[in-house]
This record gives sequence, C-alpha cells and structure tokens, in this order.
Amino acid sequence: MMSNVTNTAIRVVALRIALAMILAFAVSISLTQISSAEHTPPVNGIVVGVETDDDGALTRFAVSDSTGTIHTFTIFKGTEYGLENQAGDRWVSIQEAEPSEAARRLRDHRERFAPITVTSENGTAFSVVEREEGKLETNLGYLFAVFAVTWALFFAYVLYLGRKQRVLQHEIARLKGASGK
Amino acid sequence: MNKILDLLDPLLILSATLMGVALYLIFIWVPTETNQGAVQRILYFHVPVAWGSMLGIFVVSGSSFMYLLKKNEKWDRLAVASAEVGLIFGGMMLLSGMIWARPVWAVWWTGEAKLTTALILFFIYVAYLMFRSYFPPGAQRQRLAAIIGVIGAIDTPIIYFAANLWSQAPPPLITGPAADAESTLGSDLGTVLLVSTLAFTFLFIFMVQTRYKIRKSEDDVVELKRASSASAMTGVN
Repeated sequence: MMSNVTNTAIRVVALRIALAMILAFAVSISLTQISSAEHTPPVNGIVVGVETDDDGALTRFAVSDSTGTIHTFTIFKGTEYGLENQAGDRWVSIQEAEPSEAARRLRDHRERFAPITVTSENGTAFSVVEREEGKLETNLGYLFAVFAVTWALFFAYVLYLGRKQRVLQHEIARLKGASGK
Repeated sequence: MNKILDLLDPLLILSATLMGVALYLIFIWVPTETNQGAVQRILYFHVPVAWGSMLGIFVVSGSSFMYLLKKNEKWDRLAVASAEVGLIFGGMMLLSGMIWARPVWAVWWTGEAKLTTALILFFIYVAYLMFRSYFPPGAQRQRLAAIIGVIGAIDTPIIYFAANLWSQAPPPLITGPAADAESTLGSDLGTVLLVSTLAFTFLFIFMVQTRYKIRKSEDDVVELKRASSASAMTGVN
C-alpha cells in the first residue's frame, strides 16, 4: 500500500517536471519565432531582370511582386537555389557551385513567367526557390497521405488492443467464476 | 483485473503532449526546406517511426537474449510485445518512406540498399511473429523464437550504415555517430526532429507496456484454463 502511494507520488512529480520542461521549451521557441519574424519577409514574384559578370556568373537579379514593386537582390556565394524547369525537374545548388547555371535558370524563369520565392536580408538573397504556394496542394497531398495512412494504422492497432483486452477480461472473469474464486 | 489500456497513463499523456508540440513545430514553426518544399516535413514523421522500428528489434533481441540466459517468462513477454509494436512502427516506416519517395525520387520504391534492408527488418518482425503463432506453445517455441529475435537485430546496423556501405544509397546519414558532416540537419530542423523522436519514443514505450500487460493476461488465461482442467480431472478421478 505504502509502495503504491510512493510510486504514484513519483509518477506525479515526474509528470509535472516533464510538463514544466515542455512549457519552458514552448516559450523559448515562441520567443525565437517572434525574433525571427522581425527578419525581412520572403518575396514572391516574377523575375524581371538578370545581371551577370563577364564570366556569365549571376551577380544580381530583380523580381516584380504582385503589386508591381521591383525588388533587386544581390547574390553571395552561399545563396541557395531550388528551381524547376518546365518539365518539373528540380535543380538544387548554391551560387558558389554553379554561378552561371543560376543565371541561366533565372532567365528561363523570366521567359516562362514562372514565379519564385526569395528570402533575403538587406537586399542579399539567401534562397531562391520555386514559388512554394504554387505546388502546395500537390505537396500537401503527400503530407496528408503520410499522416492519414500511418495514424489510421496506429489507431487500428490501438482498437485491436482494446478489443483484445475486453475479450481477455471476459475470459478471466468466466474462468474465475467457473472455478468459484 | 486492472485496466490495461489506461488513457491517463503518464507515458501516454507525455507522449500526446510532445506529439502536440511536435505537430506545431512541424507544420507552423519550422521553415520550409529549400530543396524539397513542404513534402520534406515527412522527415519529421518518417525518421522517428524508423527509429522506433529499430528500437523495437533491439528490445526484442535484448530481451530474447535475457530469456535464453534467465529462462524468465517476463523477458519472453517483453520480446513479443516489442516485436508486435516494432512491426507497427516498421509498417509506418515503409508506408511513410514510400509516400515520401514518390514526389522526391518519382518512384514508390527502388531496389536501393537502405530500402531493401528496411524491408528485411519488417520481414524479420513478420517471421518472428508468424513463428510464434504457428509453432506449438511451450518452452521450445520460446527458446527458438528467442534465437530468431537475437539474430534479427543484426539487420539494424546494416540499415543504418547502408548509405555508407553501398554508394548508390541516395539519402546520406544525417543523424547518429556516422553522420556525414556536410549533410547534418540545421538547428531548427534538428530541434523538430528531436522533439518528434522523443514523442514517438514515449509512444513506443507506452504501446510496448500495454502489449506486455495484455500478454501477461493471455498467460493468466492459459494458467487458469490449465488449473480449471486439472481440477476437473481431479473431480472425475
């Protein structure tokens, strides 16, 4: 009896510590999110200008957003790219690795009026990717499929366990009743 | 009889809370990955269930080894419980991996090393549980099942190192001691993966604990039936 009470008390304390840790973690993440929200928001738009140096390496490009505002971005060697061609094949690289290919891809986007998303800080582009919202439904479909299928499997297993538990409870009660215990 | 599937179990509450936090982090907090877009968020689900699946075979192997050593029924029960939950996690791992592969690699499945060894792990679970179902109950079944359980764990390090052992494996190692330094996750992605893995680890432990209790009840039923038929025989004599 005493041991049961001690075990319950330990469990309650452990649970409270765990919940306090989760709360502290959630608060720290919220603060991080608030501070990150102060950064420049990403720009969605159509490429309207591409500038290269003598070697054909991309140096600057300009994007027009939905309001018609032109945003000009400079490039640095760590700028990341995730751009698709007309067939949907994604090209992933950084400026340092393929500087002239980046210019070629952006020109291709300009000709096709294919929208892109640019994340930047003080006019320097950090990432230039295919506009995510454009393909959001396709991607979210796969994401939904993973969660739906696998959670369905998990709940089916829990239901199976619950049913098994009920059958066993009946069986034990029946056997105990039959033996007169 | 105590309630086996206890919805107020601290492990379940902890797991559910962490799962809620993980879902918030996955869908709202973490930035969209540049290369794959939104579909990359499957990683935060796929890797933790794969971890659970591997954890399962380690528990099966460890408890099978302990059973062979001590001949104590509790180790056998733990091995069965872990194998069944490991099978569920293994199934989730394969399904989520296939759905993820489709938009990223444009195929549902390839004969690539990591995928094949993961499928073998799933079959090891199936073989272990099928053997237990079809072999007549008794000490011999438990002993042979324990040997299968111990051998089954050999596949786990092969899955983990598959990306390094066979060069065609597309996903590089991003976590663990052999992770490729250039392919490690960023801090945001790593945080989300850690929370999600913790949530699924607690869920795994809760499910094994629940299945263990059910297994114990099954053994109690067998014991009661044996006692009941023995007393009936005494009555007849």
